[in-house]
Amino acid sequence: MQIPYNEKLRPDTGLYNAKLGIWLFLASEIMLFGGLFSAYVLLRSSNADFMMHQHYLNVPLATLNTIILITSSVTMVMAWVSLKLNDLKKYKLYMLLTLLCSVGFLIVKFFEYSAKFEHHLYPSTDNFLGTYFTLTGLHGLHIIGGMVVMIYLVGPGVKMWETNKERFTNRVEVIGLYWHFVDLVWIFLFPALYLL
Amino acid sequence: MSQDSHQESFIKKYIFSQDHKVIGIQYGLLSLFFLLFGFFLMMIMRWQLAYPDQVIPIIGPLMFENGILSPDMYNSFGAMHGTIMIFLGVVPIVVGAFGNYLVPLQIGAPDMAFPKLNMVSFWSYFIGGFVMMYGFVLPGGAANSGWTSYPPLSDLATAGQTVWLIGMVFLITSSLLGSMNIIVTIVQLRVKGLTYMKLPLFVWSQLVTSFLLVLAFPPLEAAAVFQLMDRLAGTSFFLPTGLIHGGAIVDVAGGGSPILWQHLFWFLAHPEVYVLILPAMGVVCEIIANNTRKPIWNYKTMVYSLIFLGFMSFAVWAHHMFQTGMGQGMSAFFQITTMIISVPSVVILSGLFITLWGGRIRFNTPMLFALAFLPMFGIGGLTGLPLGLAPSDIPLHDTYYVIGHFHYVVAPGTIFAIFAGIYFWFPKVTGKQLNETLGKIHFWFSFVFMNGIFMPMFLQGIAGVSRRLADGGTTYAHAANTIHYNEFMSWSAWCLGLAQLPFIINMIMTLIRKRKDKVDPNPWKATTIEWTDTTSPPLGHGNFDTVPSVYRGPYEYSVPGESEEFTPQSKKDVNSENK
Amino acid sequence: MSHDNIQDHIKVYRNIFLALLTFTVLTVAISYVHFDLVWVGILVGLLIAGIKGYLVAANFMHLNNEKKMIYWILILTASFLVLLFFMPTLWDNNIAHSETTVLFDDPGGREYLEKSSH
Ligand code: HEM
Ligand SMILES: [Cu+2]
Repeated sequence: MQIPYNEKLRPDTGLYNAKLGIWLFLASEIMLFGGLFSAYVLLRSSNADFMMHQHYLNVPLATLNTIILITSSVTMVMAWVSLKLNDLKKYKLYMLLTLLCSVGFLIVKFFEYSAKFEHHLYPSTDNFLGTYFTLTGLHGLHIIGGMVVMIYLVGPGVKMWETNKERFTNRVEVIGLYWHFVDLVWIFLFPALYLL
Repeated sequence: MSQDSHQESFIKKYIFSQDHKVIGIQYGLLSLFFLLFGFFLMMIMRWQLAYPDQVIPIIGPLMFENGILSPDMYNSFGAMHGTIMIFLGVVPIVVGAFGNYLVPLQIGAPDMAFPKLNMVSFWSYFIGGFVMMYGFVLPGGAANSGWTSYPPLSDLATAGQTVWLIGMVFLITSSLLGSMNIIVTIVQLRVKGLTYMKLPLFVWSQLVTSFLLVLAFPPLEAAAVFQLMDRLAGTSFFLPTGLIHGGAIVDVAGGGSPILWQHLFWFLAHPEVYVLILPAMGVVCEIIANNTRKPIWNYKTMVYSLIFLGFMSFAVWAHHMFQTGMGQGMSAFFQITTMIISVPSVVILSGLFITLWGGRIRFNTPMLFALAFLPMFGIGGLTGLPLGLAPSDIPLHDTYYVIGHFHYVVAPGTIFAIFAGIYFWFPKVTGKQLNETLGKIHFWFSFVFMNGIFMPMFLQGIAGVSRRLADGGTTYAHAANTIHYNEFMSWSAWCLGLAQLPFIINMIMTLIRKRKDKVDPNPWKATTIEWTDTTSPPLGHGNFDTVPSVYRGPYEYSVPGESEEFTPQSKKDVNSENK
Repeated sequence: MSHDNIQDHIKVYRNIFLALLTFTVLTVAISYVHFDLVWVGILVGLLIAGIKGYLVAANFMHLNNEKKMIYWILILTASFLVLLFFMPTLWDNNIAHSETTVLFDDPGGREYLEKSSH
């Protein structure tokens, strides 16, 4: 069974299937995080004491994580560029760097979380911390999901490069779009929870 | 193309299949089962409503303590009836089954754009359904806070609610993946010549529906995550400070807002009712055009109405919340949007009525169901107007009037369209035609009993009988003269159950009967290209031996100057070269 | 896409990277500045986040040069997103300035109270 436009672009839309697919997925993700953010705004604006526990959050660590994620976005886009330049070795290098960044992000997150628990700050403590844990937790799950796909694309999935270069490049572009989106969510989460 | 479908193992062909036709059938069978199951719950509840606190005959002693459906169990059955009917029954059958099976065929595609993802969405639906069902065996029973799961009640409810939320996450995932797949398929895999304005209205309805699912479901997913956190991690997103429950203040941090849930819930759930109705409209359009042997009235107007309906459905959600003290400005906004959204529905319905005008109507079973859809949906829609205006909604809110209103839309409305679709496309799926006599018996009895159930609900509701009452309102002195309708409605419901027997028998008999003579691949003399595909039935991976091209619109019936009274979309236009 | 073209791209990515780092530092720094009006601080913070988001979306996600279909989907999504944000900001049960959290705020009742206190 051959599905048309898996690698070639459909002339009238100028897109291959997965590109449209991932953008629709991202559209739904926008609505998911939109729902979470607007819930945050509602809870915050209806409670004067909402931000009471904000000062417990660790801004330097979060800044570090922001930098890590931004870096990973750059390495991700470089991985895709390397494939465009027909350089599989560089692709693998950049992909591994991206993975390294995401591991780093999770480690920092782990230290942040455990510091909170040590101070007996839990999701149940108040709604600010509840929001903090829920939103960063969901974001963390997105990171992990992205990592699983990346591991596949540097591991067993890389075989496709031999048989179908175009389609493999498309796959990397698609995971890249997802990854930048996860980065973008963090760009808003960071000030919303830590700074403002 | 079907030749290259090399020998596949049974499991790969029928269980973990990636063929859109097999997946469509899987969806169809499972969702029919769930529809029947949800109806079964309601038949038991109707006993309790007609004969409160009397032992249920036969099944009562087997299933329940004392043989009675206790008020707690009533709540649980009611919540699960709603949930099952909507999320496990109608949505999977109209999008999962009809959409999956027909969309690729109607646009000339070899399969869905992402066959593997298609398989994943079916199995996600399966797991979601299983998890939901698991609630029934938990202590405290399945979810019992209504299909709307309003907190604070749901936050404090028994374990069934947790299972409900987890089930919902799977069902949402399934719907999201499925609808993305449908959009990409329609946008990317349309065959040569099939421009947007030549798409069958069924495909249009699927496209709009899928957009609704993709953009409306995620906020509910967010809400489900919040409620899971409330229940499992002790947060209080939906719990206010100082909430008293069971005679004591609930021990949580508080500061949350129960209204927040209602927003996020209805942000999905209003578009969701259009998910239930739009594909049904699509099915009805196909069948009406085919059986009046006339083009649909003003095709483009219909398309734009569908799109506008879908778009507006995101801006009306708070008409479910007039009781929450939203203030006059907001209330006015949502009343106006609700009135605006009724316009395109009226346009579509009128368009279908106008299409009937002067047609040579063939009254076969699918057409009877499709015809019945029109007035039934009409009643459902018109009775909705008073609910969209705050002054009349406030007394009617949460009464049986509301139950009557939306059931007219989804039961004699959508369910009839589903029946119509099943009778219509059965020959396409199986190569065999359902028996017309049994079909007509099925139709007439269903039609009578459906109205017998739901019509009295309007009267009860106006008299002030609340919904979700385990005793059907026997203690309501102010509505005393309407309470005796309960018995009539319940008998109608059980007779409706009996009226489904001809349908089930018809399907089984038709399937096991061996027919020597091959049936016509296009028994209804239809124009859309799924009927020109001869590779299936029998079931095989791959559509269309030769990929068709499309030259004309979907409803060219009785076109003057054509050799036949119907002109398939794939018939070459002799004039097109001159143009 | 030709090779030179890609070399240009790489340069762009490097510049964006530096810009993003700068804005990150900036937003953290500004969070230590005290604004008399709280909302000004929030606005500035969101503005910077918006710029960063734009840089990522436009360059890394190639939205500065994408197909029409994608734009349409995003415009559709954005309009519904606005509606979703409508929910907390314009709701009348916005009780930001009350001392305690009240479950149901009743605007009619509040008006009544205000009137009767005069
Ligand atoms: C055709 C047979 C059906 C019958 C006899 C029936 C009957 C009822 C009745 C009597 C109630 C009110 C229960 C109460 O308030 O205590 C109810 C509730 C409900 N029904 Fe149905 N129904 C049928 C089909 C459907 C279908 C096809 C759908 C959806 C697609 C549906 C969705 C619902 C929902 C959402 C509720 C509200 C549940 C709640 O209160 O949380 N029903 N039904
Ligand atoms: Cu609604």
